[in-house]
Amino acid sequence: MKMGLWFKAAAVVVMMGLAALPASADPLAAFNGQKGEIRISGGTAHIPVMEEAAKQIRTANPDVQISIAGGGSGVGIKQAGEGLVDIGNSGRKPTDEEVAKYGLKVFRWALDGVGAVVHPDNPVQSLSKDQLKQVYAGAIDNWKVLGGQDKAINLYTRDEASGTRDVFWKRALDKGDIHAKANVVPSNGAMKTAVANDPYAIGYVSVGHIDVTVAPVALDGVVPTNETVKSGAYPVSRGLYSLTKGEPGRLAKAFIDYLFSSTGQQIIVDKGFIPGN
Amino acid sequence: MDGERIAQKVFLLAAVLSASVTVLLLVFMVILGLPLFQGGLFLRILTHPWLPGRQLFGVWPMIVGTLAIASLAMAVAFPLSLGVSSLIAVVAPGRIAHLVKSAVAFMTGIPTVVYGFVGVFLLVPLVRETFARGSGLCVLTAGLVLGILVAPTMILFFSDALARVPGSHRVAAEALGATPAQVLVYVLIPGAWRGIVTGLVLSTGRAVGDTLIALMLAGNAAQVPGGLLDSARALTAHIALVIASDFDSLEFKTIFACGILLYAFTAAATIAVRRLGRKGEPVR
Amino acid sequence: MRQPPLDRFVRLVSWGSTLLLLASVATVIGFLLIKGYSSLSLKLVFGDTPPMEALLLRRPVFGGLFPAMVGTFSLVVLAITLAVPLGLAAGIYMAEYGRGRIQRALGLFFDILAGVPSIVVGLFGFSVAVFLHRHFGGRIYPCLLISALSLAFLVLPYLIRTTQNALEALPEAVRLTAPALGATRLQNICFVLLPRALPGILSGVILAIGRCAEDTAVIMLTGVVATAGLPRSLFSSYEALPFYIYYISSQYRDPEELATGYAAALILLAICAMLFAAAALIQQRLGARLHQRL
Repeated sequence: MKMGLWFKAAAVVVMMGLAALPASADPLAAFNGQKGEIRISGGTAHIPVMEEAAKQIRTANPDVQISIAGGGSGVGIKQAGEGLVDIGNSGRKPTDEEVAKYGLKVFRWALDGVGAVVHPDNPVQSLSKDQLKQVYAGAIDNWKVLGGQDKAINLYTRDEASGTRDVFWKRALDKGDIHAKANVVPSNGAMKTAVANDPYAIGYVSVGHIDVTVAPVALDGVVPTNETVKSGAYPVSRGLYSLTKGEPGRLAKAFIDYLFSSTGQQIIVDKGFIPGN
Repeated sequence: MDGERIAQKVFLLAAVLSASVTVLLLVFMVILGLPLFQGGLFLRILTHPWLPGRQLFGVWPMIVGTLAIASLAMAVAFPLSLGVSSLIAVVAPGRIAHLVKSAVAFMTGIPTVVYGFVGVFLLVPLVRETFARGSGLCVLTAGLVLGILVAPTMILFFSDALARVPGSHRVAAEALGATPAQVLVYVLIPGAWRGIVTGLVLSTGRAVGDTLIALMLAGNAAQVPGGLLDSARALTAHIALVIASDFDSLEFKTIFACGILLYAFTAAATIAVRRLGRKGEPVR
Repeated sequence: MRQPPLDRFVRLVSWGSTLLLLASVATVIGFLLIKGYSSLSLKLVFGDTPPMEALLLRRPVFGGLFPAMVGTFSLVVLAITLAVPLGLAAGIYMAEYGRGRIQRALGLFFDILAGVPSIVVGLFGFSVAVFLHRHFGGRIYPCLLISALSLAFLVLPYLIRTTQNALEALPEAVRLTAPALGATRLQNICFVLLPRALPGILSGVILAIGRCAEDTAVIMLTGVVATAGLPRSLFSSYEALPFYIYYISSQYRDPEELATGYAAALILLAICAMLFAAAALIQQRLGARLHQRL
């Protein structure tokens, strides 16, 4: 009977949420009476959005378990394709081969960019594309050359499964070398933390993740922000995708629908991304 | 007597099942990494650099990285352990020795991730500021913490070995007028060398096999480190980082090469220690 | 009287290394205490959910350590449940039945297994999960059960050896009395030897629990995730304290989240310290009792 009481409480919460919504149908209604687990893994840029959506869904319906793992876009694509997760996230568009091989269904729910970042105290906050390429190739290895302090540049990069790395490597470095001496971190969150803690670091993160703890580096004079990404002035942009193997199951579909609902879109905005496909 | 026979069979079965896990571990890695063993690919993986941009997936840098971090850890832990176990054995026997030994035993129970966590927030910034070069995530940081991590186990091995030297040897030396330090250096350490080597070998296995410290503190750059302040990636950390990539690619298969290598190394260490033990006193 | 140089050198080195080691560990613990103690609170464990509601599993906890603590607890219980019967039985075989070549060969396998790095055991668990997933209808994923099984393999050789040692350490007099009175071998094991060896076995089990609770490398390959809530079944993903600490150390978003990392490290350290104390206490009792009897 305690559950009954809880359902009433949940209903009240849902109704309050409903009242606050301008939109028509309640996006959480699809979870009513549902039980089970939604497994999500892959892209690490997606994680804040996933966590917030999971929190709201599970507050309304605790019988739905939602597990969220990182790993990077390569993992999201593979694990969704292998059926190891219900939803695989990717920060790069899956290739046609990947889509065909696994029969992936692709949902693009936000636009994002990938920007180089440095420590906020670093005076060097603008680079030409050529300079950035030389920095990552290891040809420029001291901040002094770029007008900063006489300190070695500490490179940070991501592992090979990263979609953020893939996009940055293709669009910002034009597939130029990333020196092997670069420290490797496993996620967007870890990249931001690493750069925020290292005064002589340079790294790259999802634009949605940039906050006051790190300083964005202008590329050829254009600072990576949501506005410049949206207008197309900042060229290193990408979509954020969620993938399912074939048609999503009932719970996975409800989750993806939730991302596209007005509440979901608000979460996407709150977490720093540009909603829409 | 039927129950007796069944019981004996059950106990035997349990032992065989447990032992088969040891074999299964290797078999699974070999099967899943199968393409690695065709046409000299395994050798190429072991000797090539890791340059994914050029489709080169070699783990040579990780082998060197592992050796660099583990050697430094041993260079820290060995003298430290010899010192502490000498204190327990001869310099301050009695209450102090008992206290120190309890503290050391407690240290073996401190979670690895706790060392790593404190390393990230205490030692990494310290190393970065002190040497004013690099990010602080490097061979030095990882090696120091790993040294502190393996020292307690090594100390317990060493003190056991020193304590097992027959008391008569000690008494004889003392009767000849040997000072405690002379007893230690000329009687105890030579008498306990097998135990000391055993402790050293098994601790090296532990240092080589540790994942978290290297993963959290060494920086994980897939390069052959040129110095103590360079970022490096251990074989174990490589497994943790690449586990997630795609299942069929060569890149993913390399983690089985790393796994097989780690397995072979620790198994060889174990076998070596057992042979050493069989010649002298039983190891345990 | 001046000491000879060798003695001074040995004293210096041994005191120096002891103080250095103790100081570094004191630094680790002190650092955690200073940074973590102030942030320890119920809110840290339960987030914004009322603690009673969370404990009765009526409401999910967000932004608290509760799911990770429950995850670690379930993991340890499961792994130990899997490992202890097998380890005990195999240990009994090694001490009471195994002889000669077979026993030596089995011993070699256990020693090798004991030395295998935990990440390799994790890789094994991961491979098994992928294998089962591909061949058994895609219903098995890396999950709580797979992690527990891998951890069980990790502590198995340890349990076997402590059981074996505890049995072999029993005095010959104890071993021979019951058979002399007509007890069978099995009766002797069950009613005489095992009860007498129990403290030794128990302290081994407790240390194995500590090993399961602190291990991170195995679980990070076999199903632990950053966010999962409470595990619903054996086949769910789950959160765990050591993985949470690792995760926060590299990707905390704000000072509050970092504080939960310190607190989690402190809690895990406290759990392991308590387990260690329990094992030490049992061993001490055992020592005292043996002295009385002998």
